[in-house]
Formats: sequence, structure tokens, C-alpha cells
Amino acid sequence: MVAATEARDTATTELARQGRTLLPALPALVFLFLAFVLPVWVLFLRSFTEPATGLGNYQSLVTDSVYLDVLVNTFFVATAVTISTLLLAFPIAWFLVIVPSRVARMVFAVILLSMWTNLLVRTYAWLVLLQDTGAINQFLMYLGLTSAPVPLVNNMVGVIIGMTYIMLPFIVLPIHATMSTLDPALMQAASIAGAKARTIFFRILLPLTLPGISAGCIMVFVMSLGYYITPALLGGVRDMMIAQLVAELIQKFLNWGLGSAAAFILLFITLAIYFAYVRLVGLVRPT
Amino acid sequence: MNSSTGSGGTLDAGVPQGSQPARSMAANLLSIRNLSKHYGDFRAVDNVSLDVRRGELMTFLGPSGSGKTTTLNMVAGFDTPTAGEILIDNQDISRVIPSRRNIGMVFQRYTLFPHMTVAENVGFPLMVRRVAKPQIAERVTRVLKLIRLESFGDRRPSQLSGGQQQRVALARALIYEPRLLLMDEPLGALDKRLREEIQLEIRRIHHQLDVTIIYVTHDQEEALRLSDRIAVFDNGRIAQIGAARELYDQPANAFVGAFLGNSNFLTGKIATANGGRYQVTLKDGSSIEAPARLALAPEQPVSVMFRPEKAILQSVSETSGFTNRVVGRITENVFLGDSATYEVRTASGELVTVKQPFGPSETKTRTMDEEIAVSWPHDCVHIFPIDR
Ligand SMILES: Nc1ncnc2c1ncn2[C@@H]1O[C@H](COP(=O)(O)OP(=O)(O)OP(=O)(O)O)[C@@H](O)[C@H]1O
Ligand SMILES: [Mg+2]
Repeated sequence: MVAATEARDTATTELARQGRTLLPALPALVFLFLAFVLPVWVLFLRSFTEPATGLGNYQSLVTDSVYLDVLVNTFFVATAVTISTLLLAFPIAWFLVIVPSRVARMVFAVILLSMWTNLLVRTYAWLVLLQDTGAINQFLMYLGLTSAPVPLVNNMVGVIIGMTYIMLPFIVLPIHATMSTLDPALMQAASIAGAKARTIFFRILLPLTLPGISAGCIMVFVMSLGYYITPALLGGVRDMMIAQLVAELIQKFLNWGLGSAAAFILLFITLAIYFAYVRLVGLVRPT
Repeated sequence: MNSSTGSGGTLDAGVPQGSQPARSMAANLLSIRNLSKHYGDFRAVDNVSLDVRRGELMTFLGPSGSGKTTTLNMVAGFDTPTAGEILIDNQDISRVIPSRRNIGMVFQRYTLFPHMTVAENVGFPLMVRRVAKPQIAERVTRVLKLIRLESFGDRRPSQLSGGQQQRVALARALIYEPRLLLMDEPLGALDKRLREEIQLEIRRIHHQLDVTIIYVTHDQEEALRLSDRIAVFDNGRIAQIGAARELYDQPANAFVGAFLGNSNFLTGKIATANGGRYQVTLKDGSSIEAPARLALAPEQPVSVMFRPEKAILQSVSETSGFTNRVVGRITENVFLGDSATYEVRTASGELVTVKQPFGPSETKTRTMDEEIAVSWPHDCVHIFPIDR
């Protein structure tokens, strides 16, 4: 996705250099400028000018402990969600590679269907499942694993569970795509050469799946950083993430300056991670 | 040819190999007993039994789908047999996982690990065996020298040609000195010239290391070039096992006769048997003689086989030739430089091919549509019963 944008950008500049054929794209470009570039630019300026000119907004965001907590929370949740989706996605992708394609197609249909279901509906469904009187707690109590309901919602646990579920397809798909290009004969060759299952996993399967893993992880991590609905519904008041902070500052306190600054911190972090990823892995990965 | 490694024998020439249990000295390294693999009702491998001798290079030769790979995969441990036993050194290995079988394998597809260098690929089996690093490096160098790619250690597999990749795969399979080396059409994807070059290399390495090899191919020329013995597969069964010459001169059945080399088949039936010879009446009415190798009753329909190079062409008026003779017309005439092949259509409509080498005395070429007699000696004939 990102790579495609990049490719399009270079193509555009190439065309621009030749000084022709940009005309048909003009309406779209005007629209992009008015609807995207201009507002972002205005917000960017406001983050430096309201309420006073200078870096004050940014300074308070990185020094005030309330805002710092939000930043730390955001990173913690994004990291936890990335790790938990990865741990779930790897075996799922492996399963999808080895089962007959009929079964794999069915599982994919379920995954896609859930992706197409309204996000709010899915998040509320988790709310119902995770609450004190919800199915999960009732089941745990029925098993006798706990006598009182475990708090699974309105806290970090709920946020991580909900977001793991929502992010899962975004990491399963790239890992599966990479894995399905691997020749099973590679594993056979390793096995007959004397490698045990563990060695085959760590020396062959894992390194060869790395491009898919890193693409999936970066996708989930970056999307999680800016996630709003799920943390807002499943999280507690103390588990605010940066997107919620932006909403709060602007909607409730009409503090456009500070809100914009928070949004731009998120953007800077995302860009930094993206460029670090490009540096490390490269846009076009070697085959 | 034999310049690279001076001291023959094993890769680890310095290591004494004295203390082996007595049973490992049995003449047969591998014994397959009544091995079967069924997929539902389909019998991919059907009651196969064979022995592979220590130090031998045996090829599995057969058409596509005849069960060669399936048999090999069961020996390697990638497939579990439906029935039967696989013994190595008289020990049943069916329950041993592939990584513990101490077998080497080279696959038809390229299976070098793409994220490792050539040296890392070749050293991989030693790495998983926890051999010390300096020793790995030394043995990798030695085996890369054996396959003549000593300067390629730092390359990635993607920087090698197909032939080089398969040689590296061979090195990876040889470096841990497996007791048995399996090769499943390793040269199938290469062009003819390169294939022949690597075939020579495989022969050299086989002689140099005394390693026991099973080599799968559906190319009969490759089988003839490489093997000590050939096992011919047909529909999941073994049609015949033997040295190349044996299979060519004494095919056990029509399938082997047809699959190995070129052959003529005429149909007929047994007329009489006397003095160790059968009189066979062919479809066109002519009568021929054949050695009575099998006990067959009169009236038994048979397929009569002989090789194109065992027959000669004569004018119909000449009567001097061999015992057996049919008459027909030349329908095809191909000049091949050192020889010519003719196709003759007999009165019954059957086709007979004759290969006529141009030796010092034979210079004649025949023309199309010429009426001609094909004659061949009776002891070159094989007859196979046809089910009634
Ligand atoms: N997993 C499977 N399920 C069903 N049938 C199979 C399976 N694997 C192999 N077969 C069948 O078993 C038969 C033997 O296959 P095998 O791969 O052993 O043939 P082969 O002699 O190696 O042929 P080739 O020269 O084409 O490699 C084939 O008809 C194949 O379709
Ligand atoms: Mg095969």
C-alpha cells in the first residue's frame, strides 16, 4: 500500500518534469489540496501559534506528566497489540498454508467478513463478551477458575483484547502471503539434513517469513498508535491513548493548538517509524 | 578428471572408521520389503521389494507417475508406508523421523536456503549437528572443492546457475557422509549438455566416496549412463531389476522391452514347441522361431519382440539371411549419418523398424516403397504371453 503511494509519487514527479499530462489530474489535485494539504497545514500552524507563538504546546505535551502518560500508554498498547497479534497470526498463517485450499478459502472468507462488519458493532460485541456478567466471565466462573468476575473491560486488558482482534487480519495476510511462497521442499531438505522441528522453525521458516512479519508488524503498530474507537469504548478513563487525547482537547476543551500539536506528534512518530522501516527492510524486498 | 581430491575413500579421510557393528557389513545397505502406499483406492506404490547393495548406484527408472518419488519419499521419511518395511542395515526405520535417518537427499526442485550463502548452506547439516565452527569451515572447503565450486562459498543461491545450485545441493547432502544418498531427478530442470556434465561428476564422486546412491530418473539414457543396476518401475510395481545390459538383452516383460531402448513388437501365437524352440505363427501368416525361455502352451497368443539393430534388410529374392523373416514395404527411411533407420510395413499392417549401421561393408541405402525382407536371428527374439 505504502509502496504503491511511493511509486505513484515518483511517477508524478517524472511526469511533472516532462511538463505535460498533469492536466487531467488537476481536479483531483485541487481537491486533495483543499481537503487535505490545506487543513493539515492550517492545523500545523495553529499548533505553533495557539494560544501563544512558539513551541509551548509541544513542550507541555512532552513534559506534563498527564500528557506523557498518554504517550506512554499509546506506545504500550501499540506494542502489546503488535506482539499479541504476531503471536496469534504466525500459527494462523501457518495453518492456512498447510490446510487444503478449500478450508483456507473458508477461513479467509470468515476473516474478510469480520473485517467488513462495522467496527462499532464488533467493538460493542466485545464489550458484551468482556463485561462482568459477560460470557467470558461466566464461563471462567463456571469452570471455577475464579469466584468473582475478572475485570476485562474498561481497562488496558479490554483495549488490548479488542484491538488484537481488530488488527489480526492486517498481520495474518502479509505473513500468509510470504509463507505461501515458500517451497515446502525447503523444510524437507532441512529435515533430511538433520534439523529438528525447532531448528527448522528458527533457522528456515522464521527468517524466510521475516519480510511478511515486519510488514505486518509495522502495519499493526502504526495503525494501533492512532486508534480511537476501540480504546474509547473498551478502555478506562486512565487508559487514554493519543487519538482520544486529541479528540478530548479539541471537542471538549476547544484547545486547537494543543490538540493539533498532539496530532502532529503522532504523525511525526508514525513517519519516523515508517522511514526507519524503509531504511531497515527497504521498499522493494529482495527475492 | 580425478585431480581435485587425492586421498580417495571418504570425505573424512583422517578419521578411523573401524568400530562398526558387524551387522552393518551386510552386503545390502537398504532392503525394501513388500512396500505399498495407497491413496484411497489408488496404489501409488504396490508391493515393492528390492535390495540396494552397499556402495551401489541404483536408479529408479520409470515413466511419470510410476511411483518412484513416492518410494523415495518413504525411504527418506517424508511419507509413511501403507504397508511393508524399509530396512537400513537390517534395522526397520519406518518409525525414525527424517532428521535421524542419516540419509542425504538432492531434490528435483532447487532447495538451497535462499537466505544463506553457499558455504552456510553446505555447512547447515554440520551446524545442526553442533560441529565446531573451524571444523565446519574446513569440511565445507573440502566438499566445495569436490564439486569444483571452491570459490563460490560467499555467494547466495540466487547468484548461481541451476547446475551450480544442484551441485551445491549435492555438496550439502554429502558433507555429513550419509549412509545413503537419494537423488530425485536432480538434473531434470537442466539442459542436456549440462546434465551430461554433471552426470559424469556424479559418477566420479560416487567412485571417489564409495557412497550408496539411489537415483530417480525417467530418462533411460541417464539411467544407462549412471547406474550399476536399474529398477524399472511401472504403475507402482517393479517391472524388473538388473544391470543395464541384462535389462536390455533379457527384458522380463514387454514393458521393460519397450521402455528401455527401441524395440519391435509383432503379435502371433505359439504353433509348436520342439528342441527348446517355439514355432510362432505371426499375424501375416509367416512362421518364425524363438528360444523357449518360458513354458507356453500351443495356441497361446504372444507378443514377439526384437531390437531394430538385430535385424537386417534383404531383397525379397535373397534367401541367405537369418532364420526369421517377414516381408513388407519400406514406409520410412531416415538417414542418421552413422546409420539409417527404416520402417517396414508388413502384410498384416504391423510396423517393423530396422536400424542399419553403415559399417565398412554396408553402404547400400534403400528407397521408399521398395518391397523388402526383414530378417533376424531366432536367439534375439523375446516372446511375452498376451492375456487371452
Ligand atoms: N498425495 C497424493 N495423493 C494422491 N495421489 C498421489 C499423491 N502423491 C502422489 N500421488 C500419485 O501417485 C502416483 C505416483 O507418483 P510419484 O510422484 O511417485 O510418481 P513418479 O514416478 O515420481 O513420477 P515423476 O517421474 O512424474 O516424478 C502418481 O499417479 C500420483 O498422482
Ligand atoms: Mg517424481
